[in-house]
Amino acid sequence: MGDFLDGYPLGTGWDEMFDGSGNPRTPYKALYEVLQSLSADDFESRCAARDHAFRDQGITFSHSGEERPFPLDLVPRILSANIWPTIEAGVSQRVRALEAFLADVYGLGRIVDDGIVPRRLLTSCAHFHRTAAGIEPPNGVRVQVAGIDLVRGADGGFRVLEDNLRTPSGISYVIENRRTMARVFPELFASHRVRPVDSYPARLLEALRAATPAGVGDPTVVVLTPGIYNSAYFEHAFLARQMGVELVEGRDLVCRGNVVYMRSTDGEQRVDVVYRRVDDEYLDPLQFRAGSVVGCPGIVNAARAGNVTIANAVGNGVADDKLLYTYVPEIIRYYLDEDPILANVDTYRLEDPHQLKAVLGRLPELVLKPVAGSGGYGLVIGPAAAPEELERMRHVLMADPRGWIAQEVVQLSTSPTQIGDRLLPRHVDLRPFAVNDGERVWVVPGGLTRVALPEGSLVVNSSQGGGSKDTWVLAEPGGARAQPRPKPAAPRVLAPAAASSPLDPGPAVAQAAQQQQARSC
Amino acid sequence: MTWRVGIRHVTGYEYTQPVTSSYNEARITPISNDRQLVLESEVEVSPPASVYRYWDWWGTLVHSFDLHEPHDELVITGTSIVETSGPPAAPESPATWADLADAGTRDRYWELLTPSTYVPLDDGVREAAADLDPALDPRETCEAVATLVRELLTYERGTTTVSTTAADAIRIGSGVCQDFAHVALGLLRSRGIPARYVSGYLHPSAKAQPGEVLAGQSHAWVEAWVGDWMSFDVTNGSEVGERHVVVGRARDYADLAPLNGIFHGGPAKALGVTVELTRLA
Amino acid sequence: MLSRIAESLYWVGRYVERAEDTARILDVHVHRTLEDPAVEEDAACRGLLAVMGCKAPEGALDSADLLGILAFDSASTTSIAGSLVAARENARSARDSISSEMWECLNATYNALPGVVARASGGSPHAFFSYVKERAAILAGLADSTMSRDDGWLFLILGRSLERVDMTARLLSASFGDGSGQAELVTTLRCCSAHEAFLRTYRRRVEPDLVAEFLLLDRLFPRSAFHALDQAERCLAELDPGAGRAGLDDEARRILGRARTDLEFRRVQELVADLPGHLASLQTCCSTAGDALARRFFRQSAPQAWNLEVAGGRQ
Repeated sequence: MGDFLDGYPLGTGWDEMFDGSGNPRTPYKALYEVLQSLSADDFESRCAARDHAFRDQGITFSHSGEERPFPLDLVPRILSANIWPTIEAGVSQRVRALEAFLADVYGLGRIVDDGIVPRRLLTSCAHFHRTAAGIEPPNGVRVQVAGIDLVRGADGGFRVLEDNLRTPSGISYVIENRRTMARVFPELFASHRVRPVDSYPARLLEALRAATPAGVGDPTVVVLTPGIYNSAYFEHAFLARQMGVELVEGRDLVCRGNVVYMRSTDGEQRVDVVYRRVDDEYLDPLQFRAGSVVGCPGIVNAARAGNVTIANAVGNGVADDKLLYTYVPEIIRYYLDEDPILANVDTYRLEDPHQLKAVLGRLPELVLKPVAGSGGYGLVIGPAAAPEELERMRHVLMADPRGWIAQEVVQLSTSPTQIGDRLLPRHVDLRPFAVNDGERVWVVPGGLTRVALPEGSLVVNSSQGGGSKDTWVLAEPGGARAQPRPKPAAPRVLAPAAASSPLDPGPAVAQAAQQQQARSC
Repeated sequence: MTWRVGIRHVTGYEYTQPVTSSYNEARITPISNDRQLVLESEVEVSPPASVYRYWDWWGTLVHSFDLHEPHDELVITGTSIVETSGPPAAPESPATWADLADAGTRDRYWELLTPSTYVPLDDGVREAAADLDPALDPRETCEAVATLVRELLTYERGTTTVSTTAADAIRIGSGVCQDFAHVALGLLRSRGIPARYVSGYLHPSAKAQPGEVLAGQSHAWVEAWVGDWMSFDVTNGSEVGERHVVVGRARDYADLAPLNGIFHGGPAKALGVTVELTRLA
Repeated sequence: MLSRIAESLYWVGRYVERAEDTARILDVHVHRTLEDPAVEEDAACRGLLAVMGCKAPEGALDSADLLGILAFDSASTTSIAGSLVAARENARSARDSISSEMWECLNATYNALPGVVARASGGSPHAFFSYVKERAAILAGLADSTMSRDDGWLFLILGRSLERVDMTARLLSASFGDGSGQAELVTTLRCCSAHEAFLRTYRRRVEPDLVAEFLLLDRLFPRSAFHALDQAERCLAELDPGAGRAGLDDEARRILGRARTDLEFRRVQELVADLPGHLASLQTCCSTAGDALARRFFRQSAPQAWNLEVAGGRQ
């Protein structure tokens, strides 16, 4: 009998596994039973199996220049069939609204003329790339892939913490975490109906093919990576392999007369769709940083000329700016005429002098985030910060109110996480991934659950030493176990398979059949 | 009164070692707007390349091209014929300071009020702006700025470079038309007047005879928003009239560099720029 | 396939083969110095470093120093450890073009390297050499059973074959030093895993001429220079299926073909008479063929630095 969960301390926030009186919540009952029946040795050996699998497969994440195995906690995070549709609809709604916003701000700018979003918000945003104006994506999609970060408050409700519309990463870990869990804990999958996540690469490929420039029949899609030293290189290679497309670096590409080619051993081969994991600023040395060696000069004008599709599009950063985030509920109402399904975390705009004043009076209670930052860098958590640091922040905020937002602290939900030989509550968030093929926004059932490993910590980013959990969305009772698979990308119409011939039964049976045939004649 | 002006602008680079590939964008073609009409325009590149045209965010016509055969010289020739008109009338009801402080106005022109690559609003610029008489209204302030810039800077070639900012130019005390324009932008923006950089050409002689080919120059001046856009040529202390041809308007030189590019190979040296201007009618 | 990936696979082939062959060469060396007290250790080490194209350090050298340079230095691609690191690095950037099994094999080797090196430098180099040979064999087996026979495969085998030609030449240079005796020749054959094959082929006692003939000219033994040259040539032929009827425009294939025919139609006595000369020309052929390959298939795949042009037009 395991005692991992003995004396599991419940805090004031929402715990994913246990309700307020310490009983396992319904979706977790079966998992709880299994955990209770495990011996410490058994658990240990499964951890060893996991570590072995990750290390040898090189499923790694670069952390400050060091290659580490991606940390997977063996206790899964479970989302019931009841809560998932809300998340799915909320994420999809947000992506649709932000798509419309991007098309608008790089086009006519209606939302600005109508005074919903200040023009200043765009023109002062470092990620509003004026060079992206006038680039029309072939199927209108700029956000082929989005990662929307959600947190769960004390009431159990999900809220959006931030949007990632540039090059969100983590999907490869979602898929690898699932594969590893299935290997290490096969019995859990026998007792749960978990919706699969592995159709993502096929969905992504379909979305990329749907964004092919006009007039191209069978497009060549590539994944563009900054190279093997990038922290997410594992993911880039993973996606290329799973989609069966080339993984290229900037130096493999050459742009001639606004057409992009890749250099191959048979000469140059035309490229139609580039799923790029290189930041805008490094993508095209002609338009952005001239010194970039990971980009492809000319690619932005090739996209402008309609000869190549860059996915995600250049300039998406204006829509995941943290200050713009505060306008997303209005953006949803403006473009979709719908109420937001997922609420924002309460956030203050410091450019408003009244809000700035109020925030300065409450620094020890709030979270401060740089609008341009990502990956948890630069974050200041008021309740955990030293007085000197808050004093320094006071000056920073007054000098650069556009550069920061302030948020109420969300007491992130907790989930039992292996710490030494115990399971203890640690804070988690959730990053569901959405794929937009222009017809529909598809959300991976599940997503990446990130765990803040130090006790009490609220910073979950893997770049900050966080861990992860396999995230299960349970299938509806009686519902189909597997999601319908996406249609094969090409050719779109497959001839119906002819009835297969029977397996060769071997000589004895074949003879019998012959005899039968002979008699019926 | 209108002029018809022919422009031939030749610019480029020479390289000490052959360049194997290069990517370039040229912003040297006049645009049609409320004050001028482009009748013809063409950009040619040597060695020959196919040229792609587009209008950028600021409305400037960009010619982009790339070269992949080894070459040791790149020459770009822009020719155009433009009809220009005389100085516009001054705004009938110029904006007041209160109009400029209006939140809507500031929001609309935010990027023309805030620091940009060549126009930092640092102490040097603000100190210089402190010499402007606060009693003047915005339109009068523009005139005062034009005068002040000519006090701050003397026209001299070779004292500043392509990377000199407005603040640098004030410290150096001299410069060329770009520096004059950048300093004027700094003064205007630090007083809360939206102001933009204009890149273009200036025909050198008011008394030119039709058909006479004169050596001219590419030029820069500014426009300030005081209820309407008001143009002035700070370098020459003059109005902007039929001798001025507009190529583009934006935050500063960084948005409007006539030739911008990257290449792979030996170091580059800018070729001398020649601009020939001909009054045609 | 992408030039850069082709180049990476080619180098995976070369580095793994280099690690394996270096292990074989060092194994011969260690055996000799242990078994024959007459061997001048310092001179033997210097001789071997020269054969491997390394500069010898100042001062007296012993085998431990030699192993430090040619076996354990993970920063140098002339050493075993360094070659394995470099092979893994190349495989990493070509990860989507090799099978997961191959990647896992290279990665696990890389991960185990510090431990294995620590144990080996404590005194049991032989176990280290066996380990390296075994990992190379596993990789070759995985490549054989999991890799599609596409261009990627051809570049991997091409790299391996070229390196093998080069290293076989070096091994022979190292083994046919002054007055190699019967014992050394046997060791040399053993280290190429060729002793038994040799005996089966010749059914007589090991003699220098025969060893040279076997390792240079044998058509069937996979580690002979001839066999490796032939394989490299076949890879090139497959990579260029459209080659015309007359002549060849593939410089690398021309170089390799000439080297092969040069071996093929020469008498053993001629070869042995000027062995050092022939071995040197084999090595030259490998390096010029490598350059020709790079020009033809891999050109321009190094990252390019872009210079900003200084905009003109200041007045």
